[in-house]
Amino acid sequence: MINRLLSYESIVGAPAISQIRQLAAPLEGASVVHVNSTRVGGGVAEILAWLVPMMQELGLDVDWEVVTGNAAFFDVTKTFHNGLQGKPVPLPSSMIQAYEEVSDANAERLRDKLEAADFVIIHDPQPARLLKLCPNRKGMWVWRCHIDASHPNRRIWNYLRQQVEGYNASIFSMPSFAKSLPHPQFIIAPSIDPLSDKNRDLEDTFISQTLERHGIPNDAPLITQVSRFDRFKDPIGVIEGFKLLNSSTDAHLVLAGGGATDDPEGQAVYDEVIEAADADPRIHVLLLPGDAHREINALQRASVVVVQKSLQEGFGLTVTEAMWKGKPVIGGNAGGIRLQVYNHYTGFLVESPQGMALRIRELLRHPRKRSRMGATAKQLVTENFLLVRHLREYLTLMLGVRSGLANHLVAQ
Amino acid sequence: MRFDIKDCTLITRMGGVDPAISARELRERLAICPNECLFHHLCETVVRPTFDDPEFPNDFAAWSARSLRDRVLAEKLGVVNPYHYDSLEQVREVMIEILDDRLHDMPFIPTVPQGEEFTFMQAVTVVFDTGVGLENVNDFVQMLPRMSNGSIYYHFIEARRRTVAHIDDFSAWLVELPEETASLREALHHVDFYYLSIAEVRERLVAAVEKAVISRVLS
Repeated sequence: MINRLLSYESIVGAPAISQIRQLAAPLEGASVVHVNSTRVGGGVAEILAWLVPMMQELGLDVDWEVVTGNAAFFDVTKTFHNGLQGKPVPLPSSMIQAYEEVSDANAERLRDKLEAADFVIIHDPQPARLLKLCPNRKGMWVWRCHIDASHPNRRIWNYLRQQVEGYNASIFSMPSFAKSLPHPQFIIAPSIDPLSDKNRDLEDTFISQTLERHGIPNDAPLITQVSRFDRFKDPIGVIEGFKLLNSSTDAHLVLAGGGATDDPEGQAVYDEVIEAADADPRIHVLLLPGDAHREINALQRASVVVVQKSLQEGFGLTVTEAMWKGKPVIGGNAGGIRLQVYNHYTGFLVESPQGMALRIRELLRHPRKRSRMGATAKQLVTENFLLVRHLREYLTLMLGVRSGLANHLVAQ
Repeated sequence: MRFDIKDCTLITRMGGVDPAISARELRERLAICPNECLFHHLCETVVRPTFDDPEFPNDFAAWSARSLRDRVLAEKLGVVNPYHYDSLEQVREVMIEILDDRLHDMPFIPTVPQGEEFTFMQAVTVVFDTGVGLENVNDFVQMLPRMSNGSIYYHFIEARRRTVAHIDDFSAWLVELPEETASLREALHHVDFYYLSIAEVRERLVAAVEKAVISRVLS
């Protein structure tokens, strides 16, 4: 019956799979509801796309709900997102009102299910207010913050803190992201699904066809950044760094990203990127649909170096994806990228477009170093950032919170 | 007498203590942090994923070397073996003494850059039954190489904190068997595990047990 889980045995080994089953056994039949703000686009939706069916296979009764809202609501939640990442943003009462009205409407729709669930896992700030609107909660509520909230805008955090302090526990991706809250704060790094369309092996012909379809030459070294068109991902800085390479290389740059339904700024940033690219034939700006997973996979596999020059980053799943494909990554020295990119081992951390250009040049000139770093990168991901470890930690946390959070407990 | 093989998983949580940005702050926080934090940073490091073979066996030493760039302090903290003491309180006193000595020698107290603070953590450990049991020494010899990292950690390392006698679960079980197991227990006793990864501990255990069994047969 548990066929999907079995298919990971060849990657992580039978003992790891057996451990998952044993951990899940005491949770069989438990009702779990995950709530986030989009089904497509962005790392959270991608994680839930495998986590939910996997938990279902293990015998848990799992649902995935998405909060719905109008443009004003998603403007506010984008403001929350930017504010948590430290950007100075306003929070007038009209924004708070828009957020609370849409939260009320979502609570009306979801209340019965959420109040009855054994576990409710709320992802990021968009649905965070639901806890306050579900007073007759039966189960444990956990707030999962995927955002780098290490230095949040104070006003934004003061408001959000009121929404999340009533949870039974919260989860952050790194210790430095955790906030002072009156409940236990757990640390769970995200992960990727190695067998998803985004990460599984591809035929060479599909990779070639993908390049051809987008007018990218097959024989030029390819440098790629995959990310939403978001200022924190610094796509303009990537173009600036690429242009510093001048004529010293025949490399091409690909900036590929999809839109997400909860990101109202995407189009504006995309327009800025097109302007910065200035019709340079070596720069390919691709706005891909949210489900173009195989195309993203192909672009990453076709690349010699992958860049993720973020200024702020929750974790950086695109870094994980590239490393899984054996690519060295040049990453911004930010957030979860630091957990994955180790200077001179799995890639380079850079602080500026100049740093990015310097390291690209180095990697283009030293193919053996590139291969060695790529192999180390893949090993790091295999051991630490695949979904089986992630699933194990979720199950451990659920057993932990259900048992009152003793430091040492026996699963029954 | 059946030995039920358990497995365990850990999830880390914040320790409830402010981060430290200098050796002085590390000393201050070390003095007040819960025992669970001490145990996590000294003993649970082996069951946590790491990028490379750790140069130092505990987090305090590793942070002193990597972030404070104080290798003298790192070496002094790194050589402390918490399993040589009867309680974590004794270990805490030893480490504070080391920090006090070092602070006394410092002309000024350096701080680490933002983002490199020492964050105090602890873990929730969930223990579960694997459904596999051992009835005799032969079962033990057969199963030992196949035990998960969590099982080796739980029965051979963590047991020393959990049990009143501060001994590993295997030895406690072996002594109850009707068979002659003194040489086996002696072999387990001599596996110096603190500076090893779990995979290395398993290898050493397997080698030690095989050697003891062979010498028992030959004698």
